[in-house]
Amino acid sequence: MFGTKINKDPHGYYFIAPFFISFFIFGLGPILYSFYLSFTNWTGFDQPEFIGLANYERLIQDTVFLKSISNTLIIWIFSIIPQLTIALTLALILHEKFIRGRHLFHAIFYFPNIITPITIGVMFALMFDWQTGSINQFLLSIGIINEPIYWLNDPWLARIIVALTMMFQNFGFNMLVFLAGLQAIPKDLYEAAEIDGASRVQTALRITIPLIRPVLIFTLITSVIGGLQIFDAPLMIGKGPDNSTLTMIMNLYEAAFVRYDYGYGATIAYGAFVVIAIATAITFMIPGVRKKREAK
Amino acid sequence: MKKRLNILFITLILTAVLAACSSDADNEGDNNGTDDKVSEDMSPEDFEGDLDIWTFFGDVELMAERFEEKYPNVNVNVEVFPGDQYQTKLMNAINSNTDVPDIFDLERSYMGKFINQEFVADLTELGADELVEDYIPYVKELGMGEDGSVRAISDHASPGAFWYHRDLAEEYLGTDDPEEVSEMVSDWDSIIELGQQVQDDSNGEVHLISHFGDVYNTEKNNPELWLEDNSLVIDDQWNEIFENMKSIRDLGIDAKLGYHSGGWGDALNEGGVIMFANPAWASFMVGNEDGEAEGKYGLAETPSGYYEGGTYRAMFNGSDNKALAYEFIKFIAGEEWQQYNLEETGNMPALQSLYEENADSFTHEFFGDQKVLETYYELLMDIPANRATENNNDISTLWYDATSEAIDKGQSYNDAMESFKASVQNNYPEIEVE
Repeated sequence: MFGTKINKDPHGYYFIAPFFISFFIFGLGPILYSFYLSFTNWTGFDQPEFIGLANYERLIQDTVFLKSISNTLIIWIFSIIPQLTIALTLALILHEKFIRGRHLFHAIFYFPNIITPITIGVMFALMFDWQTGSINQFLLSIGIINEPIYWLNDPWLARIIVALTMMFQNFGFNMLVFLAGLQAIPKDLYEAAEIDGASRVQTALRITIPLIRPVLIFTLITSVIGGLQIFDAPLMIGKGPDNSTLTMIMNLYEAAFVRYDYGYGATIAYGAFVVIAIATAITFMIPGVRKKREAK
Repeated sequence: MKKRLNILFITLILTAVLAACSSDADNEGDNNGTDDKVSEDMSPEDFEGDLDIWTFFGDVELMAERFEEKYPNVNVNVEVFPGDQYQTKLMNAINSNTDVPDIFDLERSYMGKFINQEFVADLTELGADELVEDYIPYVKELGMGEDGSVRAISDHASPGAFWYHRDLAEEYLGTDDPEEVSEMVSDWDSIIELGQQVQDDSNGEVHLISHFGDVYNTEKNNPELWLEDNSLVIDDQWNEIFENMKSIRDLGIDAKLGYHSGGWGDALNEGGVIMFANPAWASFMVGNEDGEAEGKYGLAETPSGYYEGGTYRAMFNGSDNKALAYEFIKFIAGEEWQQYNLEETGNMPALQSLYEENADSFTHEFFGDQKVLETYYELLMDIPANRATENNNDISTLWYDATSEAIDKGQSYNDAMESFKASVQNNYPEIEVE
């Protein structure tokens, strides 16, 4: 319907050119260069030495890399399920008109999202500290435990704590996205449902949830991409016993910027890219997303 | 138009890629046109110009101020890049050969990666052997390249020792006299025994040491280096270190407060732990509002001499300001600056002569009237002098990670070594691991 109104004047390209120019220089250039580096052995001091697929051969046999993939996925799953559940529940509650001070709650729940992940990582590391952490102190003071729990000495507990930091940081953001989606639903549908005598639960399940599906898919996909790149918060909490909280990007950071093995670091980056691409593709295969594509 | 844009974009991509891949063959030192020779009879006033220094350490600004006072026609630009970004920033500058400073600081933990590179000037050629002649052996050796030339010079030593709370020592050890306390903690068996006694006397409220990591920190320089002909060699001393660490944990001697953790800082300031293996530069971790920490600690000798940290200054081989840069290095390696630095900041000198000269006069406010230089000097002379190597420090860290995890889980030395070897192999596939 807008086809006839589009101005096809080539001058428009000049307006979009700055983005593309900066993208090619600062985005695509380094991407291609790091791809080249992934076929080299380079410590940063001398010339990169081309070694063919040796880094990729090393990568597929690298147990730490494989472990970092599973760690990242486990942490992501532990984080994403409660994160979206809490965000959606809060959004549904705060969308109700009878809730007083809704905007204050929006701000409060969004607040963790504006704190840097490093700060949240440090905060959780202090809270779950073995000897002096506030969680242990609290549990000791109310008599639930007699000895402090060494939270970060257990692989699963350590992963859950990292997942908790991600959940704590991001649920507010997702809640706001859900709220925006809820506000876009036409009020007529709710009025019609009310006239037909639908209960609140029925309204939520039959109208609200189906109509915010695109928003759900958006949050899911952004969470996959963002969640699989988690780095700062676990870096502050540590690698955990048996590298149990070492994520893909932490592994990349250690190879490239701690050991100065830039060639292998670039290879890990491409390995992580493939994992994230596969995870995103799988997300597209879930029923909700497919339906949307069919509807198109 | 479309075609022109396509050409523009393709050109941009190619430019970006080529720029990124461009050769940095011309990075390496180009001495042409530089005036390296310094006449012996030049006075400070004869030097003029700008000197650029990059560092991660704020105190270099003080150093620069003092240098400018002495060399009135010189302007020193100090750029401080805190944190991990410093190394990356420095490497980028060197690789792209843009804005490389005349002098750059290196931290001893990663210095081994840098000092054998061509972009680091050979200071021996400029006469630096003379500057470090009277240096503490380990400080001198650490700044030497593989070929035995001086590549980096530090203006300080960073010895460690036990800092103990005098009041707690008096209560649980029966004395706060540094010599007596040093005697009581002269080896790890004595420390373990004493730790159990403190544990019993205080009903577990007070611990002798903060963490078994103190054993590692104080002993890590003693075993042989990890690599011999690119093969991993595990010195038997590591086994002893592990056993001492494990006994300390198993017998409840340490307070389980990780080095530099929040709880560790509290214990250092408030008590609950009697002694801490601390480097001499650790005083910034002590709260001293209204002089509350004055005379609070005593300094006792650790079972072995050890050092922690250390900042070295290297010169860029491609600098066109070498004469002035060397003059700066000469200044910080000299008595005048190191004496001032000792008095002003409490940083231990690198020159041996200063220990003797100040032995009877220098005191530090935290240690009351104790003459700490004597203690530090003895410990410093006990430190094995090793050159900085590329991976030794990192491999030691992997060893500590593996063993501390094993101790936390109650595992044996063999379990820890399996995990250590696996992580060495994983991180450095080029190293032969049996």
